[in-house]
Amino acid sequence: MAMEIRLPVARQRLPESLDRDTQKHLVVPGDTITTDTGFMRGHGTYMGDEKLIASVAGSVERVNKLICVKALKTRYNGEVGDIVVGRITEVQQKRWKVETNSRLDSVLLLSSMNLPGGELRRRSAEDELAMRDFLREGDLISAEVQAVFSDGAVSLHTRSLKYGKLGQGVLVQVSPSLVKRQKTHFHDLPCGASVILGNNGFIWIYPTPEQREEEVGGFIANLEPVPLSDREVISRLRNCIVALVAQKMMLFDTSLLYCYEASLSHQIKDILKPEIMEEIVMETRQRLLEQEG
Amino acid sequence: MKETPLSNCERRFLLRAIEEKKRLDGRQTYDYRNIKISFGTDYGCCIVELGKTRVLGQVSCELVSPKLNRATEGILFFNLELSQMAAPAFEPGRQSDLLVKLNRLLERCLRNSKCIDTESLCVVAGEKVWQIRVDLHLLNHDGNIIDAASIAAIVALCHFRRPDVSVQGDEITLYALEERDPVPLSIHHMPICISFAFFQQGTYLLVDPNEREERVMDGLLVIAMNKHREICTIQSSGGIMLLQDQVLRCSKIAGVKVAEITELIQKALENDKRVRKEGGKFGFAESIANQRITAFKMEKAPVDTSDVEEKAEEIIAEADPPSEAVSKPVLWTPGTAQIGEGIESSWGDLEEEEDEDEGGSDDVTILDSVKMETEDQNVGDHITDDTPIVLSDSEEDEIIILEPGENPKKTRIQANNSKQEKASSKKAIRKKKKKKKAAKILLF
Repeated sequence: MAMEIRLPVARQRLPESLDRDTQKHLVVPGDTITTDTGFMRGHGTYMGDEKLIASVAGSVERVNKLICVKALKTRYNGEVGDIVVGRITEVQQKRWKVETNSRLDSVLLLSSMNLPGGELRRRSAEDELAMRDFLREGDLISAEVQAVFSDGAVSLHTRSLKYGKLGQGVLVQVSPSLVKRQKTHFHDLPCGASVILGNNGFIWIYPTPEQREEEVGGFIANLEPVPLSDREVISRLRNCIVALVAQKMMLFDTSLLYCYEASLSHQIKDILKPEIMEEIVMETRQRLLEQEG
Repeated sequence: MKETPLSNCERRFLLRAIEEKKRLDGRQTYDYRNIKISFGTDYGCCIVELGKTRVLGQVSCELVSPKLNRATEGILFFNLELSQMAAPAFEPGRQSDLLVKLNRLLERCLRNSKCIDTESLCVVAGEKVWQIRVDLHLLNHDGNIIDAASIAAIVALCHFRRPDVSVQGDEITLYALEERDPVPLSIHHMPICISFAFFQQGTYLLVDPNEREERVMDGLLVIAMNKHREICTIQSSGGIMLLQDQVLRCSKIAGVKVAEITELIQKALENDKRVRKEGGKFGFAESIANQRITAFKMEKAPVDTSDVEEKAEEIIAEADPPSEAVSKPVLWTPGTAQIGEGIESSWGDLEEEEDEDEGGSDDVTILDSVKMETEDQNVGDHITDDTPIVLSDSEEDEIIILEPGENPKKTRIQANNSKQEKASSKKAIRKKKKKKKAAKILLF
């Protein structure tokens, strides 16, 4: 049996960006952003003796007169319309508590959940008692943010049939700042798997379902065994995501696809090795730049 | 911070592994993790590590007036704290349930069992007694806090020395540490808690659960025992229903475990006493090893591989020929025989190995075995044909001359040189040994 032995070596820093017209202004907590008092201070900053100082580690964003610092590693801050993937932690009286990697647990009200069959009716006492049959502790769901409470807690809804309980697949947890905001977060990748890029940093990879079942409304989890080829595609995608995250690349469907194609020449488990990660991500970056310019 | 919930698949994995009698860290059902006891410079200070769970114990004493209804007894005070560095879920206000339960259990184990002689703590009856205070801090939570805490408490108490006191009439003299040697506490026996975790409504049992196992367990049984096999405390929590023989079995296991742990404690205490007497260095700085892995920079060093080829050939040439498995030649027709199999590889199910797609080693062996197969097949095909095979002039080959009725001598096929160079020399030797031999036959 062959055994691999690896020795630690100082890693080469990759050239930061192959094209970057505007260099990002990176700050750490305590750094002075500007001494000009004409700016309004946004999130991630505070005023300290006539200077604007950063309170989080991240990049400075400026919109006209508003300066804010967007942190690199944060908890998820909900905004209306975001797609999130969350895990049920509690079943309470008329709602579920969902864990979405934010500062407070998110809330999924029973009235915001679409009943099986897609019918619209008033939620009765029987529905309340049957809550645990729909979703129990530990289940994964995909949902959309309906509202944000004043303390920052997020209220979710699964009113469309594309949201609901998730079946078999792989969950990858990344920092929310790495998920690019796009028109749609549900992608069917041509390589043979589907992916949900949750804005809260939870990424769900699952085998593409053959037909869309419209009547069910996302409650019955498909528990048929997944064929090996699908499982390999899903594992490869998961490792690609880990590689992209390690190199701090933004995650969206194109970058994921390019990374997948770049990784096809390696074995799935080799993608996790640092040098192969660098190689694959370099190639992905090249292709993305070519595609843009 | 609230605890991140355990995912369903992880929970199922843990339970299934337990059903198959497998634990994540490779222990057996009744195995304890490694227990390490280290002492500080002060008397009565110790750190106990049960695997990764760490508890710091510190004993201190003070002269106070006794309780009114117990005028001749000293006072014992136990306090266990779950520090915030032990686990992210521990917050100043949040851990009340667990904290109360652990504290109560510890008190019952140590106070109600009367392991410490409180009468000896009395200085002047009704006026001055010693108050012994045991403070335990949980430094890291990796499961089974109660066991580690009870060991830390009893070790700290055994290690502790209180200042010497003498009473002359109405005068009490408290001697400082420099004047007279401090006096150890009088301890009758050492009660130690042993935890048993139950899964699947009492079907499966594990001793010393770690943090993951504690999250998926159904119930917990704690038995506090001393080495004389006296049960000091027994507590069952979690609402599981235990049968009588299960409890008896657990108490037997606890007896064995307590004996081992007590021996370990005695050894540690004696070690420390010896080191202090000899004047050697003692304290945390000496006993807790430096466990940091420091990253270091390594420049690229060129490796000279020019002589690897020669070395490999040397080793192969000097190696003994593979042990000959004498197999009878199979006579197909007069003049055609076959030695060895050479048709199908019998190295186990290759299909299953391909399915797993695991380590590179598997891939390598698959490739090799596939290569072997094809190679053998080629030669096998040759043999079943009637075409004569050309013999090479190489010295490595032994020639077989097959005449009907004679015993053929053995032969070795000269392997592909390229294959040997690629693989390591050790592997090459093994490959040669494993290779199926097909005979080169000279036909008459």
